[in-house]
Amino acid sequence: MTRDEIKDVLLEIIADIDEEADFARLDADAPLRDQLDLDSMDFLDIVMELRKRYKLHIPEEEYPQLATLTSCVNYLEPKLQHV
Amino acid sequence: MAAYQLVIIGGGLSGLAAGIRAARFGIKTLIVEQHSLPGGLNSFYVRQGHLLETGLHAMTNCAPANDKQAPLNRLFRQLRLPRREFPCHEQIGSEIRFGGRSLLFGNDPAILEASIDRVFPGRIDRFRRLRQEIAEYDPFAAGPWRSGRQFLADHLDDPDLADTLLLPLMIYGNAEEEDMDLGQLVIMFRAVFEEGFFRPAATMREFLGLLVQQFRDFGGEIRFRSPVESIVSDRDRVVGVLLAGGEMLGADAVVSTAGIPETMRLSGWPGEVDRYVGRMSFMETISLVSRARTATLTRDRTIIFYHHGDRLQYRRPSGYLDPTWGVICFPGNFLGLPPEDPVQIRTTNAASYPLWKALSAESYESVKRRWTEAAVSASEEIVGNYRSSIVYQDSFTPVTIERFTRKAEGAVYGSAVKIKDGVTPWPNLFLAGTDQGYLGIVGAMLSGITMVNRHILR
Ligand SMILES: Cc1cc2nc3c(=O)[nH]c(=O)nc-3n(C[C@H](O)[C@H](O)[C@H](O)COP(=O)(O)OP(=O)(O)OC[C@H]3O[C@@H](n4cnc5c(N)ncnc54)[C@H](O)[C@@H]3O)c2cc1C
Repeated sequence: MTRDEIKDVLLEIIADIDEEADFARLDADAPLRDQLDLDSMDFLDIVMELRKRYKLHIPEEEYPQLATLTSCVNYLEPKLQHV
Repeated sequence: MAAYQLVIIGGGLSGLAAGIRAARFGIKTLIVEQHSLPGGLNSFYVRQGHLLETGLHAMTNCAPANDKQAPLNRLFRQLRLPRREFPCHEQIGSEIRFGGRSLLFGNDPAILEASIDRVFPGRIDRFRRLRQEIAEYDPFAAGPWRSGRQFLADHLDDPDLADTLLLPLMIYGNAEEEDMDLGQLVIMFRAVFEEGFFRPAATMREFLGLLVQQFRDFGGEIRFRSPVESIVSDRDRVVGVLLAGGEMLGADAVVSTAGIPETMRLSGWPGEVDRYVGRMSFMETISLVSRARTATLTRDRTIIFYHHGDRLQYRRPSGYLDPTWGVICFPGNFLGLPPEDPVQIRTTNAASYPLWKALSAESYESVKRRWTEAAVSASEEIVGNYRSSIVYQDSFTPVTIERFTRKAEGAVYGSAVKIKDGVTPWPNLFLAGTDQGYLGIVGAMLSGITMVNRHILR
């Protein structure tokens, strides 16, 4: 997947989790949780959804690397390159 | 590989929520429920053409759909249910009548503050500081038991106000007698006084239907009329459940919502069962009264918590039922509901399981009638007379609760000792629901969600 495709997948997953999510003013380099008012339970859902879709196991120690949209894409790019 | 990755014992609110979470992420999940209907304590039945709900007075934790951090909305997100399609009807207003005083509260905490200011002059600043402390307290952090009663006494410096506030918090969510763990008090204070009461637009039947549908849509399987007879283990792991009919269902993991005593019995979990048998149970009477005859009844109260006598007596009574304190609920008195006819009145009083259990089949019915009368009389002193206009009436006792939910001694809120991490002696058997520690409808669902997130999805 390309970086743009990964980004679209992430936004789609977040939109599914949170019907109220507002992406209009989303800053790709600022923490997602603060901007979207997500909590750790929602966050787990992003991880679980990635696991369900791509059989991707993200260990808990690596969750911090998913803090912003850009860092998510950086982290996922090598893992999803053959998808 | 086992037939199921996860088997959940119990199709009550915690079991359904747990099932939706697991199935949503592709885990092959089966819920087994002994009854022909879902819901457990919070189910429904139809008698003489009336749909009667078994548990619901009100749902707690009312919140507008756009408040993302509110427990109710987190719950909907976790279950992937569209919150906007779930209209809530807020309460009209509730009242605590305690030893001759009365406090009013609603879903706006300002109502309670104004009432405290009137009834307990000079206490309002202390109450505001208490609210602040409760807002900042983390009830989910692990820690030793702390006395909620002492906490209120220290902050309010007024035993009457402390007991008045405790009454609804205990009745709607305390498994212990006499005192309440501070963490549980904080959870209940927020659920009742900060967020408040509402009802879904439809009945419990539709709500349960929605949950079962969601579970099935995610690929989950549910079997009704399937009592689990034992939880089967092989060496140090649980390998599945055995149904009463003799069918064995293999499982990689089992979540039990049947309560600690029942789970101990099913699994052969070594330990002292008595320690986990709760003592607080209740008798509830539902009366349907024809609307034409209700002109004199209270219209502007949703729930009334009452208590005669000066010091709070939250304990198992020495007689069959204690009519000196309890709850009176008008399930029709929520904003925006169409006027119901007949009008429903529910009364709930503490009741003693051992006394009810000891009755012979012949005397059970007459004793039940006698105490139904006592409960109705006690409520008439508060809301006005309605006995002569009752078109249908039904009651259930601690024995009924035990029979229908297998909660030992009919303890609605389960064991006074909770197992908050849901862990059992087996590495793949977990607890959820009442005995894990979150109580009430919203609490039970959050429990199912939390336990699956923590033990199954990781
Ligand atoms: C009279 C009354 C009024 C209430 N009013 C309110 C209210 O207004 N608001 C509120 O928020 N809460 C209320 N509650 C509390 C609320 O109903 C409960 O806290 C909640 O429903 C508990 O859900 P649970 O899933 O933990 O347990 P349960 O509902 O007890 O679910 C457990 C399920 O497991 C099944 N089961 C047990 N053993 C087995 C077995 N061996 N095999 C198969 N199945 C088994 C049972 O049949 C049951 O369906 C009320 C309760 C009562 C009794």
